[in-house]
Amino acid sequence: VTQLDPRVAMHYSEVAVSVELETPDMTLNIGPQHPSTHGVLRLLLELDGETVISCRPIVGYLHTGIEKNVEYRTWQQGVTYVTRADYLAPFFNELAYSLAAERLLGIEAPPRATVIRVLLCELNRVASHFVWLATGGMELGAVSVMLYGFRERELILDIFEAVTGLRMNHAFIRIGGLPMDLPEAAEERIRDLIGTLRGRIGEYQALLSDNPIWLERNRGVGVLSAEDALAWGVTGPLLRAAGVPKDIRKDEPYCGYETYDFDVPTRTESDCYARYQVRIEEMYESLRIVEQCLDRLEPGPVMVEDPKVRWPSQLEVGPDGIGNSPAYVKHIMEESMEALIHHFKILTQGVEVPEGEIYQVVEAPRGELGLYVVSDGTNIPYRVHMRDPSFANLQSLPRMIEGGLIADAIAVIASVDPVLGGVDR
Amino acid sequence: VTDSPSEANPETAAAGNEIPEDGAGALAVFAAELASVVGAAEWSAEFATVHVSVDRERWREAITAARDAGLPFFSWLSAIDWSRQVSVGESVEKPDEMHERYQVLARLSSVTSGDGALFVADVPKDDPWIDSLVPVFGGAAWHEREAAEMFGIDFRDHPNLVNLYLPDQFEGYPLRKSFPLLSREVKPWPGTVDVEGMPGAAPSDDDAEDVGEEG
Repeated sequence: VTQLDPRVAMHYSEVAVSVELETPDMTLNIGPQHPSTHGVLRLLLELDGETVISCRPIVGYLHTGIEKNVEYRTWQQGVTYVTRADYLAPFFNELAYSLAAERLLGIEAPPRATVIRVLLCELNRVASHFVWLATGGMELGAVSVMLYGFRERELILDIFEAVTGLRMNHAFIRIGGLPMDLPEAAEERIRDLIGTLRGRIGEYQALLSDNPIWLERNRGVGVLSAEDALAWGVTGPLLRAAGVPKDIRKDEPYCGYETYDFDVPTRTESDCYARYQVRIEEMYESLRIVEQCLDRLEPGPVMVEDPKVRWPSQLEVGPDGIGNSPAYVKHIMEESMEALIHHFKILTQGVEVPEGEIYQVVEAPRGELGLYVVSDGTNIPYRVHMRDPSFANLQSLPRMIEGGLIADAIAVIASVDPVLGGVDR
Repeated sequence: VTDSPSEANPETAAAGNEIPEDGAGALAVFAAELASVVGAAEWSAEFATVHVSVDRERWREAITAARDAGLPFFSWLSAIDWSRQVSVGESVEKPDEMHERYQVLARLSSVTSGDGALFVADVPKDDPWIDSLVPVFGGAAWHEREAAEMFGIDFRDHPNLVNLYLPDQFEGYPLRKSFPLLSREVKPWPGTVDVEGMPGAAPSDDDAEDVGEEG
């Protein structure tokens, strides 16, 4: 055993190797197409052995110019653009945009519409956290969690499909309210689902919370101090896992969140495990809010009455899915020329929004989602800037990864839960 | 004619430097105090959104003062192109009166309450620069890179002011109003596509083709 090549000898524990191995720094490219990068994130890592010396996130592969496009469409068409930014949280994008436009217009959606908006958003938060759980589990080798997470998310998407006609990118929260009411029996379906989901989330906790592998991979990994988090604009579960109880729903309530009974879960460890605990608890809190929404649903209109603002066509469920109501089409095509003229005026020219600049912020699943909306008094937004939580959260990634092991980097990306559609817009 | 803004819209609070006595007054007081802390001349609290205008020469100084005065959370930074050259829509009401400029905006907010403010600085178009905020908030780095590539604004002292989204070879600044949106240049505004000529008007080329096919 005296003359063994050191590279071979290191595999035998009984052989003491005192030879200094050369370990040149290595540059490793991960992504943009890689299963652990949540879409099209690309990372350039400098490695010394298994230690990450530097990490450089490269973004822009999903840049679609949403902010520019919105400047070329009417106010109502803008909803269909912003909803595509963070595609796992479409309702939140629509809500922030619609609230901003409504505040500029000086109108408010009817109470029933507001309750349904809250209900959809909180279900959306649970669905989004399921994707985090699923992808996070997959990245740490817990493939069963991946399958369960996507399975449960699908149950919520079924509800979304029944309500809006689409699984994602709904454009259902619109300026002035909603285009249609909840379908028949939706309330019972949602109530049943809450019970199912509560049970399932409990099962995942039983599966993961005390699982030695899960603990080893997540505890003490990816720590980000609260001070750093604030300076880097980090929000959402990441900030709350660092001990800062910042939640827009409590700090700057919108849609009547101050009247709902819910808690803001926090942790102080600020590692991947703390983020896991915060998100799991948030799912329970969201389900609590959904339950309260169902309890306070009163019959009533879901869109403002003002004909100069409301979207003229009515949606209805037909034999081939959701579409324009046949009665409405008959009305404008055969009965009323005025209704037809009005229909096309609103559809092609839209609504003129009074001059003003407004910042509307909502608490999205990943943190503070803010829309800065500027109107110059015309039917087209002058400027819309989306402050997406993933953008700021992802920027802080190197601070959590550098100095750690490369295997931990994957766990950290999962715990940040970035959505590149929101980062790039 | 002399409708006050607060009558037109309940959310509209003070514009300029007058503090109203209604519910929006508290926000206006907050804005006024903040403006004096950072040494800004102008502020507004319209639509429940606090704006504080800062000279670009004092940009970093003012933001630092605001951070130390209870707004330690850096939320975002971006810009607006105020331009008379608007490609779509009826443009601003009195385009000739508009002061052509870029405007850089940064939002800071409190951690413990809903307090927050937008700091705004005008940047002239012929000499677009402003000081980088990276020495104050590390998180400004990506926001400034985005604003730089989208508007062509130079953020002085930025440690790495390269494109964030766009390829290095990209020419132009997409979010400037003078930058055309190609899909709209190629395809006209929907609704103007299928307009038929009014009865009695000279037939267009399209009509002539239709007649030919029928004949």
